Amino acid sequence: MISRAALSRGAQLAARRLASSKLVQRGYAAAASSAPSSFTYETTDVAGVKVATRDSHGPTTKLAVVAKAGTRYQPAPGLTVGLEEFAFKNTQKRSALRLQREAELLGGQLVAYHTREALVLEARFLREDIPYFTELLAETVSQTKFTTYEYQEDVDRVIHIKQAKVQGDAAALALDSAHSVAFHHGLGASLYPSPSTPLKGYLDENSIASFSEAAYAKSNIALVGDGATSSALSKWTEQFFKNVPATPSGSMTLNSKATTYYGGEQRTSHTGGNSIVMAFPGSSFGNFKPEIAVLASLLGGQSSIKWAPGFTLLSKAAASAPGAIATATNLAYSDAGLLTIQVNGSASAVRTASQEAVKALKSIAEGGVSKEDLTKAVARARFDALVSSESGISTILAAGSGIVHSGKPFQVAETAKSIEGVTAEQLKKVCYPLSSYYIETVTDKRILQAAKALLEGKASVAAVGDLHALPYAEELGLTV
Amino acid sequence: MSAYPSLAPFVMKRPWLRNMLKPVANWYSSAAGYRQLGLRADDLILEEDEQVLKALKRLPPQEAYDRVYRLRRAVQCSVGAKILPKDQWTKPEEDTPYLKPLIEQLKAEEKEKEDLDSLTIVKNH
Repeated sequence: MISRAALSRGAQLAARRLASSKLVQRGYAAAASSAPSSFTYETTDVAGVKVATRDSHGPTTKLAVVAKAGTRYQPAPGLTVGLEEFAFKNTQKRSALRLQREAELLGGQLVAYHTREALVLEARFLREDIPYFTELLAETVSQTKFTTYEYQEDVDRVIHIKQAKVQGDAAALALDSAHSVAFHHGLGASLYPSPSTPLKGYLDENSIASFSEAAYAKSNIALVGDGATSSALSKWTEQFFKNVPATPSGSMTLNSKATTYYGGEQRTSHTGGNSIVMAFPGSSFGNFKPEIAVLASLLGGQSSIKWAPGFTLLSKAAASAPGAIATATNLAYSDAGLLTIQVNGSASAVRTASQEAVKALKSIAEGGVSKEDLTKAVARARFDALVSSESGISTILAAGSGIVHSGKPFQVAETAKSIEGVTAEQLKKVCYPLSSYYIETVTDKRILQAAKALLEGKASVAAVGDLHALPYAEELGLTV
Repeated sequence: MSAYPSLAPFVMKRPWLRNMLKPVANWYSSAAGYRQLGLRADDLILEEDEQVLKALKRLPPQEAYDRVYRLRRAVQCSVGAKILPKDQWTKPEEDTPYLKPLIEQLKAEEKEKEDLDSLTIVKNH
């Protein structure tokens, strides 16, 4: 053990800071009955714009406009992607170059990205620059010019490059196919149009401009500030978001049909990799099912410790097929969810590992999960839910899409609490749709339940890669 | 273009001077001879220039097509040492700038880029 005096001054300082930060944490833990206030977003309505803020008292701020304009809501293919590419381009007041250079001078970063549900324009910057970046976001949302030459020279070109990139990613394609068989339109729309998607007639600067009129209305966006005080953000929002229209205008309307789960199977040949996605109806933001979250972490796949597969069932399943990686995730959307098990790797390994994965699922349905594993899975699910609210981009996204969809941010405190209450019995119940093979062993009441679940419990299976080797859903023992 | 000093802004600001010079200008444009070949003034801008090439790419498809048609017709006339029949001459009201605004826009972009590249930061604290 090195004595304290032997440490350099810098190390001493660091050690002292560590000790003091521990003190701060202990202070939080003392009041741990509810989540600390810097965790939760407070929402206000400023001149028609829904604003959510949380202040972690750090030196930087993340400010984002979250619009309900993800691929799910686009009325024609490619529009979300086009609008994303048109972010921070020429506006009525400033050129794209000027926007970028000014942001650089202030040390800020401008990012635009989309998910299936939301389109996010995000700025990260030093705390004191909030007026400038609020104005910039408002300008981008309401005053972008959508010029023809920018579409031809920048937007279209970049979209083609990104399409080629997505086309080479077998795992992303498999996830996309699984969504499309599970949800058809809406949520089933491709996250990024593939190079063979016909975009002609749907995607040009005029259609993107009218989509922006529908998407960037006050009723359709939320402004989320992470690391900003509520008063400062309200003040600047009121001033700069004045010109944003209150309701959608223009000829286009968003495709806001409710989601239905269908299920099915889709197989695609691909030379660049092998991937299988087995998906089931999961837990959504609107209808949170804690048992699904626990199930996802029980299946897991990613080890939380180094050099060992960990306790999760999928990592054990993948261990039997070297080269395969199997992971389970619950993809939550506002009104639907998808519990996915994805297996990537070489064709033969994927084949073996996916069969093992289904076996693992069935073993849970039979009640073959040990109490110890369940405890670990509950703890892991709680940790995942809490850590995702603590840092990273997903907090802004979750808060923003919560507000635009239901008027309040998806708060994590309740989520973590409900996960704690999951019992083995509940977990068994969730797995009924999969356990349809074991009907004989259960009571008549359960047969009824299981038969009903069999009818509605259709899986969505997508295979991408070497189709000669990859199994069909029927071979895996799944009903589609 | 506009690399040389121009008196046009000076003249345009003074209506009396503009009204005085307008007939002279009209006579000059007609006498220059390009209208008799069916061309517009902007068709005469040199193409061997980065910015003009870029501006030509930004032309709307119909404009670009019409431009090529006018140029080819003029070349045909020139080869045959003829001028077009009078009814096909470019009318003064048709002789509008269609390429110049795009070139101006590109120049402004270029200038903004140069300005931003060479900017110095003055801290006020």
